[in-house]
Amino acid sequence: MELLKMTNISKSFFGVTVLDNVTLEVGRGEVHALIGENGAGKSTLMNILAGVHASDSGNIIFNGKELVHNSIKGAESAGIAFVHQELNIFNNLRVYENLFLGKEPVNSFGKLKKKEMISETFKLMHDLGVDIDPLELADNLDTGKKQLLEIAKTLHRDAELFILDEPTTALNNAEIKNLFEIVGRLKAIGKSFIFISHKMPEIFKISDKYTVLRNGKFIKSGNIREISPEAITRYMVGESYSNQEMYEERKLGDTILELKSFSGKGFYDVDFSIRSGEIVGFTGLQGAGSSEVLQTVFGVLEPQGGQLFVHGKEIKNNSIQNAMKNKVAMVAANRKENSILQDMTILENTYISEHTINNRQQHIFKNKEIKKYSDLKDTLNIKANSHNDPITSLSGGNQQKVILARWLNTRADIILFDNPTQGIDVGAKSEIYRLILNLSKAGKTIIINTLEIPEIQKIADRCVVFYHGRISVALKRQEINEETVMLHATNAINATGINTEVENVQSR
Amino acid sequence: MSNQGESPMQANAVVAQPVNKRFKGLWSNYNYVIIFLVIFIAFLIINGSETSWTSITNIFLHSAILGTISLGMGLVIMTGDIDLSVGSSFVFIGGLTIIIYNVTGSIFVTLLFAIAAGLLCGALNGVLVGRFKMPSFIVTLASMLIFRSVSQYMMNEMGETRYRVEAGMESYKSLFGFGNGNILTIPQLAVVFWIVAAAMIYMTTCMKFGKNIYAIGSNERAAKLAGVNVIWTRIKVFAISGALVGLAAFLKIAKDTSFDPATSGKNFELYAIASVVIGGISMSGGKGRIAGIIFGTMAFTIIDKIITALGMNALLNDTVKGLILLVAVGLQMIQKREK
Repeated sequence: MELLKMTNISKSFFGVTVLDNVTLEVGRGEVHALIGENGAGKSTLMNILAGVHASDSGNIIFNGKELVHNSIKGAESAGIAFVHQELNIFNNLRVYENLFLGKEPVNSFGKLKKKEMISETFKLMHDLGVDIDPLELADNLDTGKKQLLEIAKTLHRDAELFILDEPTTALNNAEIKNLFEIVGRLKAIGKSFIFISHKMPEIFKISDKYTVLRNGKFIKSGNIREISPEAITRYMVGESYSNQEMYEERKLGDTILELKSFSGKGFYDVDFSIRSGEIVGFTGLQGAGSSEVLQTVFGVLEPQGGQLFVHGKEIKNNSIQNAMKNKVAMVAANRKENSILQDMTILENTYISEHTINNRQQHIFKNKEIKKYSDLKDTLNIKANSHNDPITSLSGGNQQKVILARWLNTRADIILFDNPTQGIDVGAKSEIYRLILNLSKAGKTIIINTLEIPEIQKIADRCVVFYHGRISVALKRQEINEETVMLHATNAINATGINTEVENVQSR
Repeated sequence: MSNQGESPMQANAVVAQPVNKRFKGLWSNYNYVIIFLVIFIAFLIINGSETSWTSITNIFLHSAILGTISLGMGLVIMTGDIDLSVGSSFVFIGGLTIIIYNVTGSIFVTLLFAIAAGLLCGALNGVLVGRFKMPSFIVTLASMLIFRSVSQYMMNEMGETRYRVEAGMESYKSLFGFGNGNILTIPQLAVVFWIVAAAMIYMTTCMKFGKNIYAIGSNERAAKLAGVNVIWTRIKVFAISGALVGLAAFLKIAKDTSFDPATSGKNFELYAIASVVIGGISMSGGKGRIAGIIFGTMAFTIIDKIITALGMNALLNDTVKGLILLVAVGLQMIQKREK
C-alpha cells in the first residue's frame, strides 16, 4: 500500500489556477522524483502536503489516515518532514543550537542538556560524512555546509516522508555523494522521499519513481528505469523543447579585459585575458576562487596585487561605480540575497543600475522607462503582467531575466555572470544560454562562473578551471568535458593515488 | 439546511467578495488616510458645535513643526535606519539660531544658518552610520545625549533659562508675523510644511536618489551590487533629516520666539517615529510613502486637541498617544498577515 496518496488536488491563488486536479502517489521506502519547471506547481503541491497552504479541493491520505484541515504542526506530527530550498539557518546560533532549535532536551530543572545535544550533533554530522564542528557558529559556514545543516535538521527528525526541495544546489560532488548514501540508508529502513531537483543525472541516480507536472497539471508518472532523461525533459517543457546545438563559431574582437598576476581574497596570480565577443566559462569547486575573481573585477572585493586592464586601460582604485563606468556589469550569484530589491517593482528593479550610470539627470521620465522596459521585456521574453507588479511576483527565471535587463540597460560591454542559473528550471535555463549567446553575437564579452559543466559545454569558447585560488587549466572548446574538468577542479591530475577516489565519485 | 436556503446566501457572497476586495486594496494602500479620517471625525464629534474653521486650521498649524521633522525621520526609516537625535538637535540648533538672530538681526541669515547647522549635525550622524558602519540607533542615541546637554550647558553659562529672541530687533515684527500669519486663512507655517512635503514626495517618487533610498531599505547588499552608492546615500539622507530639523527650529523660533533647552522638542524623536509609523511607513525600511507622514502627523496632533476638548488631564496625553499608536500599528499588522 502507498504511504502517501494525494488525489485531485486543486489550488488557485487570486483566481489563477496553480494546481489542477493533481495526483501524487508515493510508496514506502521509495524515492520519488517530483519533476517540473519553475511555476509547474511542485512547490505549491509540497506546501499543501506540508500544511503550509490549504488545498481548494482534493484529499490527502497519509499512512492510512486522511489529513483533514492540514497544518504545519499536523503534517509534522503525522511524519512529514520538509527541507526547504531556502535556508532557515540562524547565523547567530551555533550548529548544534540550530539543530535542536525548538526541541532542546532539558533536565528536570529546565536546564539545557548541552553535552547531549553536542554529542548527538557530532554523531549526526559524522553519519552525514560532513566535516562540521557542532560548536561552530552557523555564520562561519559556507553555503554548501549551511545546506547540509538544513538537511541534517530535518533528517534528525523522526519522520516517515522527507521532502527534499532542490537539496544539492550548493553542494559539491563529495557532499552530494554523502547525502545520497544517507538517503539510501534511510530508504533501506522504509523511509520515503520526495526529491525535487532540476539536475537529471541526480534524479536518475537516486530515484525509483517519478511524477512530472506541467503548468499545474499532472502529466506523467512511472518507474524511472522505464524512461530516458530526454523523454522526461520533453514531458516537462511540452512541445517547445528542442535539444539542438546552440553554439556557433563567431569572429572575436581584440582583447578587452586582461588580468596580470592578479591576486585578491581567495585567489592568487591569475593571468587571464578575454577578447571582445568571447564567452569564457569559469569553474571550480566551492571556494576555488573563481567567483571571487569576478567580484574583484567588478569592484566588490579589493584586489591584493597584480594588474587589471579594461579596454586596454589599467584600473586602479576599483569600485563598483568605477567598474560600471568602464562598462563592466555583474549578474551576482544568489539572486535573492544579492540582486532582488524585494519591496520594489519590476520597473524599478530594471532601472536601479541605469540610474547610477546617468545620475546627472535626476528626474525619472517614467514613460520613457516603461517604453524601453517593454522592449527589453520582449527581447528577454520576460513573462510579467504589469511593470508595476513587485518583482517577487515573478518566477525565479523571470526574476533573473529582470536582473539581466537591469545590466543590459547600463550598456555594459563586459558582463560577468556568477552562477546565473541557480534555482532555475530547464526551460528558463536554455533561454538564458540563448540570450548569452545572442549577447556575444552582438559583441558583448561574457564570463560565466558556474559549477555546472554542461552549461559551459553548451555555450563557452573556453573554460578556465580553478583549484585552490589558482588557475588549474584553461581548456579550449574541443577539450571541455565533465571528466577533464573534474580532474583539474579536484587537482586529481597532479596527485596520483587520489585518482581512483575521484573516479569512484564520478562513476556513481 | 435546504437547498432553497443556501442559494441566496451564495448569491450574497458573490456580490460581497469584490467589495470586500476593493476595500482591502484601499486599506492596504491608504490606511494612513483612513486612520486619520477616523481620528478626525472623532475630533469633530467630540468638539460638536464648538468646531470652527480655526480649530481645523490649528491642526494644520500645530502639525507643521513636528511634521517637518517627521519628513526627515521618514526618509531615514525608509533606508532601514533610525534618527533618535532629532529632538535634541532641534533644541541645539534652535538655541544657536536664536543667538545668530540676536547678533545679525537678519531673517535670511538666520534661516540659512538654521538649515546649514542642521545639515551639518545630520551629516555627522550620516558619516558615522554610512562610512564607519556604526549602528544608527547607537550613533543617534549618542548625539541625542550630546546635543541637548551642550544646549543646556551653553544656556547655563550665559546665566539664563531660555533662549529668547530679542524683541527690540528691527525685523522682529516680520519674523513673528511670518510665524503666526495666515495666507487665505491657512497658517503660513502649515503652507511651508506642505511645500516641503511636496518636495519630499517628488524626491521619493520621481527622482533617482529617492529610488536609491527605497533600494537600500529593501535590500542593502543588492542595492550596493546594483551600483547604488550606499555610503553616500546614507550620508545625504541623514543630512536632509538634519536640514529639516534646522528648518523646523527656524519655524518654531518664528512662532514662539524662544527655546527652552530642557523641555522644547522633548520626546520629538519618538513623536516623529510614531507619526511616520501611523503614516504607514514600515520600520524595517523599503516600504511606505512620504505622503502618509502628512496624515500621520495630523492624526497625532489631533489627539492633543481631543484630550483638551474632553477636559482630560494633559498628563494623560502620552497614554492616549501610545494607545493610538498601538491600535494603528495593530491594524496595519492584521492587513499584512492577511496578505
